[in-house]
Amino acid sequence: MTERPASGATGQIRFEGREVSLHEGDTIASALFRAGVRTFSRSLKLHRRRGIYCGTGECPNCLVTVDDVPGSRSCITPALDGMTVRREGGWPSTERDALHVADRLHGLMPVGFLYKTFIHPRSAWPLAERVIRRATGLGPLPGGPADRRVARHLRTDVLVVGAGIAGLSAALEAAAGGRRVVLCEERAIGDGIAPGSTLERIRRLEARARTEPSIEILERHAALGLYEGPVVPLASDRALVQVHPGRLVLATGARERHAVFPGSDLPGVWLGRAAAAMSGLHGVPIGERVVVVATTAEGIEHIRTLARADGSIVAVVSPSMAGELDGDVETIVDARVLEARGRSRVREVVVRSGENSRTIACDALVLSLGTVPRDELARMAIDERVDVVGDAAGDRRCDANDADGIVCLCEDVSTRDLGRAWDEGFRSAEILKRYTTATMGPCQGAMCGLALECFARSMGAAGAAGSHRTTARPPLRPVALETLAASVHEIVDKRTGLHDAHLAAGARLDRSGGWLRPFGYGDRLEEYRAVRERVGLMDVGTLGKFLIAGRDATRLVDRVFATRVDDLRPGRSRYVIALDEGGYVVDDGLLCALGDGAFYLTSTTGGAERMDARLREWTDRFGLHVHLLDRTSELGAVLVAGPLARELLERVTSDRIDGGAIPYPGHGEVIVDSVPCRAVRSGFVGELAFELHHPRSRGPALWESLMRAGASFDIRPHGLDALETLRLEKGHVYLGQDSLPDDTPAKLGLGHAVAMGKPWFVGKSALERLSALPATRRLAGLAFDRAPNDVAELRGAPLMTDGDVVGRVTSAERSPVLDRAIGLGWIREDAASRAPDLRAGPAVARVVPTPFYDPEGSRVRA
Amino acid sequence: MLEVATMPVRALAVLASEEACERVAGLGGACRIGPSEVMVLGDVSPGAVERAVGLSDPDGLVQDVSDGWTLHRLSGPAAREAFARLSELELPASGFVQGEVSSVGARIVAEGDRVDLIVPSMLAEHVRARIDDECRELLG
Repeated sequence: MTERPASGATGQIRFEGREVSLHEGDTIASALFRAGVRTFSRSLKLHRRRGIYCGTGECPNCLVTVDDVPGSRSCITPALDGMTVRREGGWPSTERDALHVADRLHGLMPVGFLYKTFIHPRSAWPLAERVIRRATGLGPLPGGPADRRVARHLRTDVLVVGAGIAGLSAALEAAAGGRRVVLCEERAIGDGIAPGSTLERIRRLEARARTEPSIEILERHAALGLYEGPVVPLASDRALVQVHPGRLVLATGARERHAVFPGSDLPGVWLGRAAAAMSGLHGVPIGERVVVVATTAEGIEHIRTLARADGSIVAVVSPSMAGELDGDVETIVDARVLEARGRSRVREVVVRSGENSRTIACDALVLSLGTVPRDELARMAIDERVDVVGDAAGDRRCDANDADGIVCLCEDVSTRDLGRAWDEGFRSAEILKRYTTATMGPCQGAMCGLALECFARSMGAAGAAGSHRTTARPPLRPVALETLAASVHEIVDKRTGLHDAHLAAGARLDRSGGWLRPFGYGDRLEEYRAVRERVGLMDVGTLGKFLIAGRDATRLVDRVFATRVDDLRPGRSRYVIALDEGGYVVDDGLLCALGDGAFYLTSTTGGAERMDARLREWTDRFGLHVHLLDRTSELGAVLVAGPLARELLERVTSDRIDGGAIPYPGHGEVIVDSVPCRAVRSGFVGELAFELHHPRSRGPALWESLMRAGASFDIRPHGLDALETLRLEKGHVYLGQDSLPDDTPAKLGLGHAVAMGKPWFVGKSALERLSALPATRRLAGLAFDRAPNDVAELRGAPLMTDGDVVGRVTSAERSPVLDRAIGLGWIREDAASRAPDLRAGPAVARVVPTPFYDPEGSRVRA
Repeated sequence: MLEVATMPVRALAVLASEEACERVAGLGGACRIGPSEVMVLGDVSPGAVERAVGLSDPDGLVQDVSDGWTLHRLSGPAAREAFARLSELELPASGFVQGEVSSVGARIVAEGDRVDLIVPSMLAEHVRARIDDECRELLG
């Protein structure tokens, strides 16, 4: 069916296979209502029909999917030409929903039904969950990549939330006092308010605010919550604005009271503002015979608005208001609604006045029963000072009401459900909420919060005054996940100065220790062989690099590291380990003595920030005079390793690099093809090796110079994959991969790096106590037989003997030089000695001494 | 509206006593990082800085750290709006602040419609990518 565009139409939206014309100022809901749509959704559990109700974006009734985005509030979303809209829920369709049978079975599915029914047998739950999920919910999430959202921070003297009369007045007053003001409003200012004196006042104030340069107006920005700071995040369609105000004024107004009686959730039952806007603003009569229940002056306004456009009006008002209505409005005084009846929409209303009940045929029932302060944002404030103004600062009152009806529109919780939950022992507002899920749906209690509070209060629920209200939590409004994620980028990749050189060389880059690093350049075995047989290059600029100077530098490193360092002469270096106060190994590094009591320290790639923090912490704790400079970003480093490493360097430097000038372990300054470097002897790969630490900006030139000079040696760059094999052959430990949080140096075989003779170091006293205990496990070298082709599969495998788990493999590689699979792993001390053969997955493992390769270390010292 | 330029920056790190740092902080381009740390930006002679430090703290350290830092300059009428998309820091009308920009510890110098983001070189590409992404529609 295609509707012909009406005269004056401003566009069309596509709605479930047909075109719907738009008029000026239409919301999606007003356009659909004009086109004859009465059922906007099906309720979550019971699949009851729901029509437009609050008209202010508070309730869940008119949530639809707009352009594949579910959960869009059609009553406040402007209708734009070309939009595609469909309803959510119901099978096979929202209009004809076979699942409506759930409503008939409501009596058989009391509150807690799902909790109690599908837990036995446990195996049935996965199937039940699938069925329940298909039968409920608010439409599928859109597929494909999320739209981009922009986030920004905004600082201001005053943030005013809500641009009604109170909010506009507050903003103008603050601006007059010389303050910078941000004024935010969930909709456009004045939107959705039927013509009348209120709208006129708003327009006058709006005109002044718009000409006030110190007021920034953010329309269609909904406040999501209030956080410490204070920070108030505002969400719009495209952006997340985090406002940091000096002062916060909440002018969030009040919402209309939700009524609970049988049939109060039928389509055709409207809250007053929704009805007045549909009729008075959008020009669409809501019915031919309309019953209006009004208890406030605003309600009388609603009656007048409806009387101008709709058919006959029956007004149910309090005695004091009867005289305010025109004579042509039929008036019933001092009555209350008992019930609304109808199948797909309201057809009649039963009202009682005194002892008399009367049934009135109608096609719309409008409820203007007063308001409830919209104060959730104010209730989120803990220490933050907020000023609540206007209707948001009004009173909450409970009306006596024992009628049954739907309390929570989102979750289909009825008064009877609350009563049952109470009888089962859930006797406070908070646990009633948790058990029944009332207030936990999309409206977050906007509609039913007061009813739940009044129920708890009327039942005499336990708790101090005020505890009958559930906690207000963000987000206050439905918000897209991509909006919440705007500007959040957890992954921050560091790059070395050689990044482009690696890309040019075809490196496979991946994340490691917070950096993007080459894992290989295409031929792992050849990269390995270059180091073992000739010479290889590796970018090790990711290492943590620190200058430690000042008159107390030696004292600091002596205390932070368990290793002896006070005897380190300038030009020499030493492997050092750091313990925590529990005596467990937390960091390691290479400490180079520079002279004048200064040191150059390198740490592991992933441990650099931790090392920096540790050094600063102990400097402060001891009140030492130390200058600590993190040079990690500033310096690059290239590892030149292999039996021909010295020959290569001799081609590019005129400085001495022989074992006398730069011994192992030691370091020295050299100029390599005009690049100033600190050459640090390294033993990690088990060959003659120099780390050339250099200014980051000179890295590419240094790399190119070394590659060019090494061409005749068939030099190769290598990545982390080859390094894994090289270091494992030497039995070197990767802290984190091979270690556990409670590893003492002895367990890791690092006892040689601990100087218990020192007067004090971090963790010493704990280590003394721990050393008195029998060792329970240690890290051991493993040699594998019958290993799988992909030896890496063994990593993490449990080590078994006689059916007992006695350890775990932490590293496993195939060693080309040994032609066998090797590894490191944890093993219980008792098993290490008594079990010659251990099972590790499909392989057989034996405990063997390390290093596997060049145990004398002659190649490193070359 | 917004122009973005990435360039090297001359930077000296000064680690010295509070008194020495106070003295150095009076030099042009000096940014006080902490009680005993100053970063001096621009073409300031290291010798002049060393002399200023030496007057109060012979043990003080002055180190050229230019390679460790990279400058992203945001300029134009939308420079401050761009910064607000990258950081929650409050930008002064004129002067220096430090804190997180796109999850990176940065040093920021603002002057009118110009905001200089001085970030660790190892993270410069990350910050630049975030600028280009978050401020796409502000770019002139």
